[in-house]
Amino acid sequence: MHKVLLLIVVPLLSYGFWLSDAFKGIAAGVSIFLFGMLSLEQGFKAFTGGVLERILQKTTDTAWKSFGFGFVSAALMQSSGLVSVITISFLSAGLLDLVAGIGIIFGSNLGTTTGAWLIAGLGLKVNIATYAMPLLVFGVLCVFQSGKQLKGIGYILTGLGFLLLGIHYMKESFEAFENTINLAEYAMPGVKGLLVYTAVGIIATIIMQSSHATMLLTITAVSVHQITYDNALALVIGANIGTTVTAIIASFGANIQGKRLAGSHMFINLFTGIFVLFFIKQFGIAVDIISANLGIAVSDNAMKLATFHSLFNLAGIVLFFPFINQQILLLERIFIEKRPAIFKPKYLDSSAMDFPETVVESVRLESIHLYENAIHIILRTFGLRKSDLQKNDSLKQLIERNNHPIEYDIDASYEKRIKGIYSAIIAFISRAGFTWEMAQSSKLSWLREANKHIVEAIKDTKHLQKNWTRFRTSNNQATINEYNKIAYQIVFHIQQIDNFRHEIESNELPLLSLDTLKATIKNDDMQMNRAIETLIREQKITPETGSSLINDAAYMRNIKKNLLKAAETLFLHGNTGNARAEQQLTLNETEINDVVQTVDNQ
Amino acid sequence: MKIEKLLHKLQAFFNTDKHKKRQHIEELRKILLKLKKKERKITRTMQQVNDDNLSKHYQTELEIIRVQRKKGIEVLQLLKERKKT
Repeated sequence: MHKVLLLIVVPLLSYGFWLSDAFKGIAAGVSIFLFGMLSLEQGFKAFTGGVLERILQKTTDTAWKSFGFGFVSAALMQSSGLVSVITISFLSAGLLDLVAGIGIIFGSNLGTTTGAWLIAGLGLKVNIATYAMPLLVFGVLCVFQSGKQLKGIGYILTGLGFLLLGIHYMKESFEAFENTINLAEYAMPGVKGLLVYTAVGIIATIIMQSSHATMLLTITAVSVHQITYDNALALVIGANIGTTVTAIIASFGANIQGKRLAGSHMFINLFTGIFVLFFIKQFGIAVDIISANLGIAVSDNAMKLATFHSLFNLAGIVLFFPFINQQILLLERIFIEKRPAIFKPKYLDSSAMDFPETVVESVRLESIHLYENAIHIILRTFGLRKSDLQKNDSLKQLIERNNHPIEYDIDASYEKRIKGIYSAIIAFISRAGFTWEMAQSSKLSWLREANKHIVEAIKDTKHLQKNWTRFRTSNNQATINEYNKIAYQIVFHIQQIDNFRHEIESNELPLLSLDTLKATIKNDDMQMNRAIETLIREQKITPETGSSLINDAAYMRNIKKNLLKAAETLFLHGNTGNARAEQQLTLNETEINDVVQTVDNQ
Repeated sequence: MKIEKLLHKLQAFFNTDKHKKRQHIEELRKILLKLKKKERKITRTMQQVNDDNLSKHYQTELEIIRVQRKKGIEVLQLLKERKKT
């Protein structure tokens, strides 16, 4: 599709260049402007090694804060498209919720209007090419430096330089164009003009992938009277609707939340556009009143257009911002999360790949997803569900009640719940590469290990299942009791890890609780082996059954160890309140062994 | 007033190491207090439990806390002595 479009566009542009020098200048102006935006985007990406993510987490905890964040970032980056693409990637990674995401979109819609003010207020009145030159020189100088951040600053300066140069070229070429062709002859009055020019604005923005470029073309054209003011208003409306396509394209690779956000962006801009089209006369009057109060001349259509652009987006905010929660309900109805036959990764979004901290967080959340699925498989093996653990019934009774469980198909469940996610995590980590700073690479390496532990735990469960199913229906009560004990200890361990997760949330010395879990694993293992030996000695079980039990007790220990190691990496990711002091009190291997011995002697 | 504020800031700057030590001691005290509360809570719960497995688990937890507290008190005393010197 893209190639076909390219084959049509290239000859058309070439023919246009042959026909008119002014057209060549305008096209070059748009290209330089777009190149400037690409450079600006590249520059901002250099600063996303964790800084942007940290700011984001702190500034988006309420809808209004998110709005402010969206406004400031879009005003700084001069691209609402870039802000929405970043927001979608953060949302997919689970760093933001939908309320914060929509808040950012509202803010960026308003923030991006500062661009129109800059173009209309500064770009057309001052010879901005003179400002572009030093920016380009200093920018390129910085780009050639080896430091990552200096390079980033270089790209930002070069980007700004190209933006200004693009505006200058377009302004000059439109002035030359004025002498040859008068676009104003194609002006369309009335409703027909409104609809046609809105469609032109949408198409132009989709093709150029930038509402800024459309705004620039419109403002420059209206300033030299190449198009009428009324048609320019419709172009602005079109540009605002067309800009949502960038977010929609970005959401193709995103999860359901990302798709909901892109849907919300389109919903807000489309319905604001329709609303403004209905009340275009009233908006025209409002723009005239505001412009008069701001001291803008009646004939200064460029500045009036910038005013209209801001007023348009303000209208969208007034109309839809108070109804964020209702919007979310609607979006959840339209974009329904399907329960897949094979579980797919929830948080691994390729758009997060450019932001190291986001990649780490995405992998962590996905690994937790894998952990939850593994727990489901382990519990189902013993005839239980996660919801059973929340009941008040004693764990022992729950396990004993399931005395004839149907053998759970671990292989099928592994294929369904684990394999796809696990492979995706490994592929994602490999794709992330090792070009980043050591901190993120080592975090990813730890997460890879955690995933291996989860998979090992399932494999051990599968080995254990064979004898568990076989001996649970045995005639020997002592054997049944021992296998029930194995199931009990594994499920109890899962419960304890859940408690450990709550302790992290409430900062109740989670690091120190780990010692208890480690000691319990050792203690249980010791008790289990001793009990088996006694049963063999007292001839309550055969030596063959005893050897099976010893093997299965080893699987039990491995399952518990693997789950604990995974949980330690996955849940203890941030610093707990007094981590340093807590670490000083944690026990080493010998101290834990001593505790186990003391308890055993009691 | 401004000079007084400035002097306070300067004093804080030169006493950073001292401040850090004090903060560390405070953190340890808080942890020891939390451990003590946890110990009491577990002892109370343990008295109501009839299950052997659960009872063994609480025993282990209590013993771990006891050793952790002992370790904490030793570190705290060492820090206090160092602070004096």
